[in-house]
Amino acid sequence: MNETFKLDENLLRKRYRAEKRFHAYGIIAIGLALAFILFFFIDVLSKGIPGFQTVQVQVEVDYSQVVADGNYRRVVQKDLVHIASRGWMRTVPMQLRNHPEMIGTKETIWVPAAFRVNQYIKGNEGHGLEQKYQALADELYKQGTIRKAIDWHFFTRGDSKLPEIAGVGASLVGSLVVMFITMILAVPIGVVTAVYLEEFSPDNMLTRTVEVNINNLAAIPSILFGLLGLAIFINFFGVPRSSALAGGMTLALMTLPIIIISTRAALRSVPNSIREGAFGVGASGLQVVWHHVLPLALPGILTGSIIGLAQALGETAPLLIVGMMAFIPEAPLSIYQASTVLPAQIYTWSSDSIRAFGELTAAGVIVLLTIMLMLNGLAIWLRQHTSRTW
Amino acid sequence: MNSGNVILWILGGLLPLCAIAFFLTRNRMTHREVAGLEVFSRPGYYGWLSVIYIAAPAIFVALCFSALGLLHLYQTPLPMFTVGILTAAALGLAASVRLINPEKNARLLVEKWARGLMIFAAGISIMTTIGILLSVLFESIRFFQSVPLWEFITGTRWEADTAFLAGAGRGEEGAAKPHFGAVPIFAGTFMITAIAMLVAIPIGLFSAIYLSEYAPKKVRATVKPMLEVLAGIPTVVYGFFAAITISPLVVQAAHAVGLEADYTNALAPGLVMGVMIIPFISSLSEDVIHAVPQAMRDGSLAMGIGKAETIRHVVLPAAMPGIIAASLLGMSRAIGETMIVVMAAGLRPNLTANPLEGMTTVTVKIVESLTGDQQFDSLLTLSAFALGLVLLFITLALNVISTLVIYRFKKQFALV
Amino acid sequence: MYKHIFTAAFVAIAAFATIQTADAREIRIVGSSTVFPFSSANAEEFGATTRFKTPVVESTGSGGGFKLFCAGDDLNTPDISNASRRMKAKELELCAENGVKGITEAVIGYDGIAVAQSADNAPINLSREEIMLAVAAEVPSKDGKSLVANPYHYWNEINPDLPKRKIVIYGPPASSGTRDAFEDMILKHLTKHMDVYTNLYHADKVKNKAYKKFHKIRQDDVYVPSGENDNLIVQKLTKDKDAFGVFGYSFLEENKDKVSGALINGISPNPETISSGNYPLSRSLYFYIKHSHVGKVDGIQEYANLFMSEKQIGNNGTLLDIGLIALPEADRARYRKQVEELAKLTEGDLKK
Repeated sequence: MNETFKLDENLLRKRYRAEKRFHAYGIIAIGLALAFILFFFIDVLSKGIPGFQTVQVQVEVDYSQVVADGNYRRVVQKDLVHIASRGWMRTVPMQLRNHPEMIGTKETIWVPAAFRVNQYIKGNEGHGLEQKYQALADELYKQGTIRKAIDWHFFTRGDSKLPEIAGVGASLVGSLVVMFITMILAVPIGVVTAVYLEEFSPDNMLTRTVEVNINNLAAIPSILFGLLGLAIFINFFGVPRSSALAGGMTLALMTLPIIIISTRAALRSVPNSIREGAFGVGASGLQVVWHHVLPLALPGILTGSIIGLAQALGETAPLLIVGMMAFIPEAPLSIYQASTVLPAQIYTWSSDSIRAFGELTAAGVIVLLTIMLMLNGLAIWLRQHTSRTW
Repeated sequence: MNSGNVILWILGGLLPLCAIAFFLTRNRMTHREVAGLEVFSRPGYYGWLSVIYIAAPAIFVALCFSALGLLHLYQTPLPMFTVGILTAAALGLAASVRLINPEKNARLLVEKWARGLMIFAAGISIMTTIGILLSVLFESIRFFQSVPLWEFITGTRWEADTAFLAGAGRGEEGAAKPHFGAVPIFAGTFMITAIAMLVAIPIGLFSAIYLSEYAPKKVRATVKPMLEVLAGIPTVVYGFFAAITISPLVVQAAHAVGLEADYTNALAPGLVMGVMIIPFISSLSEDVIHAVPQAMRDGSLAMGIGKAETIRHVVLPAAMPGIIAASLLGMSRAIGETMIVVMAAGLRPNLTANPLEGMTTVTVKIVESLTGDQQFDSLLTLSAFALGLVLLFITLALNVISTLVIYRFKKQFALV
Repeated sequence: MYKHIFTAAFVAIAAFATIQTADAREIRIVGSSTVFPFSSANAEEFGATTRFKTPVVESTGSGGGFKLFCAGDDLNTPDISNASRRMKAKELELCAENGVKGITEAVIGYDGIAVAQSADNAPINLSREEIMLAVAAEVPSKDGKSLVANPYHYWNEINPDLPKRKIVIYGPPASSGTRDAFEDMILKHLTKHMDVYTNLYHADKVKNKAYKKFHKIRQDDVYVPSGENDNLIVQKLTKDKDAFGVFGYSFLEENKDKVSGALINGISPNPETISSGNYPLSRSLYFYIKHSHVGKVDGIQEYANLFMSEKQIGNNGTLLDIGLIALPEADRARYRKQVEELAKLTEGDLKK
């Protein structure tokens, strides 16, 4: 009984080392993840920034009768026909038909340059501009009648097969509409389901089946949700193919399990004492959940919903099946109209043979990432006011 | 009439009506209450009750009309449809004015309906599964009529080329029998998934531990959202990144140590997929670690046990079910991930254990068969559905197992 | 606070949902991913220069396109289907079964198939036979009397004059129409005249059916099926100097600085050689019009006419800028007439 407690110095040192190692693992893990993010964003930014820049050429426009009749190549001086964008030129006859008073007038304006000129001026490899036009482009650039400018129209225009006039405007609107539909469907249904499973459902076979089923849904490849959307929404319910509604509903089903799972985790983290307290003063089950548990679980629900929605925002595969991988240059005016979304737009650009689309692809990625960062920022702002440890 | 309009009419016509009824009824009861008269339940419940009175009959009528239309029995003209719904809503409104009185136990009624609504919402997820099952089942059955199930599951040769030609209407010109052995395809899927999990679980879990236990508040507030960014990067972008940047790097690295690597190696998509999954694991693990009662940590620390030891022996075991669930969620993401592998993994079914070789995955094959140029009832197209079906069963099995594991863990820690 | 959230949600949903649907719809086009760029360029031109709405063009693959196109006659189905192969008699039959009775076929031009390599490499000339020996699953043995599993891993094993270079070919996957064309023009074209294959067929016509026109591509890592995105094949070629890539001519044209096309039988791929048929690897691109929708959906006829016009697919047509190869003039005129008159496609036509 007179044995005294002996401090084992070696063991202690070992334990301290293990402590430090463990701490270091955490820092290394975070460091690796952050290093990847840094590498990734530098890569994307360096590729995409030039995509926001356009090359313009100053032309003297001749609104003649010949042009109004449809021969749009006559709208500029002969040598500039291959310098100025055809995408702009071809719209002039329609413009003149709508405004006949313009016929016979002339004006000097800046218009987008053809994409090969654009790429040549920017010094990109593989511009494919013919030798004879290269000299002309150099000359005009020196004279100052070709200039570089920030392409604000990139954010307002729709898709085009001519890279110089292609933009993300239409797909941006499409993405927002699809996200809105996904959100108003998936978030309420998901939260309600989670509340039921976590707070009300009896612990029986049926409930467990539902639970396994939801975990399983989260694992189902997104492309199968596309098949479901095609079979149920489009073929059975007659929702128009390629429409924002079809895409949004498909993505809602896909996002649902993610929201349910994270909402349940959030509900579980609310300590039971809160519920017991509320029950104790005579609240009903619904009141307990609605007035006490849900508000406390809100940060977790928001985190999960944002992860789910961000994923839906970037999702491509199921939309391929419901027909959103398409050339749709105009923004949807209703949820029934054909619409494209940003990731689909990026995918179609990425597989285009014309090299100039490479820049646009990366620029589109930047736009998509920016939206996502904004979404996350909002969530963080909301969360920071409510987070707590029990 | 386009039955898609059903949603439009329900949302556009009914919701404002319900909102009006809600506020009218609630205000009626509030006024009574303010006047000091007796009201059985809180006024808000009466408001909700009136919403139910209006919405339930209207939705019922709408569903009946739509069902008739969908079963091709009777196409309801749009005016009749609108009138029908509005009549139902009006009747409901009348009923609500007449029947909703302060003596009614509105709370009980509303809660009954709410519970029904919750069960319905939970049912949607079941219906989704059934829907997915049905949408792949019929085509799969057609596939399995030509290819024996056993050959499909155990065969190690996937040579679908000739099925394409048969599909293109020229098979009779002389084609070898196609082979549809899915083993190499599933092997590829599991290889890439395994690589992804090897990246994601350590990094994700240690990030979560660091963020919730060690990191100062400020660090946590900045790093956590940054990690979440990884989950939001579109898979198309990851795919490009894997194919254009990572894959050549892997090939160079392999050459540097004297190994041969394909440009479509499994390592590149696996690594990138792992990075994509980090936030799934870290975010959810962190939530559960956070949820471990502080008292457990305090108790352990008070015994003179180090912080890391506390985490390893007290916090992690308690949080383990949640961590396993998070990992499984991440893993299922990896198995089902499509765009990254479509762009960065190969298309060649290859049964090998070498991650530097090109291999293909189930989702790649599904995309390939569904977007190809072959005739739509060709075996190759149908094989996409069969692959989808098998994938469905694999994930189901995986999840049943995980549920059982979690259940046992919960029992062990008496969390049930 | 909840009250306000709800009020806001109600108002938002109501406002959003009451946006009315427009009744007149735009032209719907589906089909081959190879025709997709040309079809959408035409759609865009059509939308920009006429009063009609811009058609929606979807890339579904030829088979997927026909499936949608032939699904029925109502206005929920597409009006036009693009294809990188001809419609099959069976597909026409299915169309008719579902009530799609009148269909017009049109050919817009050719797509050349390039066998490309990194531009850093010296130009190379391959014969069709050499390519066949590189990719076929079974090839004649040294003595030429029997078939053996393809033993070749270096080009100089096939022909000593070729460089000692590893055989790696990034080619289209089995589901692609390009692969179909590649097998047709490389493998079948040769094997149907080679006794060593056909003798086997004649020995047992049932069991050895495959050898009548042998076209099986080897399954080891020499032929790497690569699909979905030909830009990725181009990228791989710049990194993997040994490799060859098989893809559409438009990608070769656009990436001349990175990749160069191998000469096939001494002929380099360019618009003239492809159009004249001297370059042996090319195929036609089609689109199909549903008659019953003409008149119901605005602009179908005008869209098709624009597509067939000289301005688009003629010798200096705008679609040639993005890689289409023009048809000979007489063929253009014939198909243009066919489209203008909406000539009906019959099963007999497809058997020709």
